Amino acid sequence: MRHYEICFLVHPDQSEQVPAMLERYRALIEDKGGVIHRLEDWGRRQLAFSIAKLHKAHYVLMNIECDAETLAELEGVFRFNDAVLRHLTVRRQDAVNEASPILQAKEEKDRVQKERDDRRGDKPSDDDNDQDDDKPVKADADKKPEAEEATENTSEEGA
Amino acid sequence: MARHFRRRKYCKFTAEGITEIDYKDLNLLKQYVGETGKVVPSRITGTKAKYQRQLATAVKRARFLALLPYTDNH
Repeated sequence: MRHYEICFLVHPDQSEQVPAMLERYRALIEDKGGVIHRLEDWGRRQLAFSIAKLHKAHYVLMNIECDAETLAELEGVFRFNDAVLRHLTVRRQDAVNEASPILQAKEEKDRVQKERDDRRGDKPSDDDNDQDDDKPVKADADKKPEAEEATENTSEEGA
Repeated sequence: MARHFRRRKYCKFTAEGITEIDYKDLNLLKQYVGETGKVVPSRITGTKAKYQRQLATAVKRARFLALLPYTDNH
């Protein structure tokens, strides 16, 4: 039994089928005595470049522990499933449980978006609380561009 | 005899004790690819060879999954 990390891209039109697909994969893995340590659904993400004339795809990440046969079977399923655009399997030393950076970033984005929506719908009497919430978010937004500039400068200096 | 002060290069991964570079950590990887999408050489970033190799594989994996672009004219 080895640890693998599988990431695959599903056609955005087939997004609704993802939960059913995951259920099937879970059954396949657990029937063979495998374990799913981490299962992340990143949802539809913008692609860095178009694949099959698509600009968005539904990303799924899973860390599993299974034997080679099960993995081969799983990859066969991916290969013959037209909804799966791409899949990447990486061998890992250990089980990984903590949330991946992409999921963390997504959750952070959703949270900020939610706060913004809440603020828009709020009554004027709640304004004081809102301003307090606002500060840390703004501070973060200001910091990010600076950090990027700093890295750009270093690369230019070296060149 | 350098006329202007050049900031010292250092290996971020050695300094921060990062053992494994994750292909999913896009904010980190983006610091090591240039505007054209190429991996920035270690002679410019100061990354140690051990980590530069890991970085290269991480970037390649991220590219395959369309998390990073291969070039700037896709």
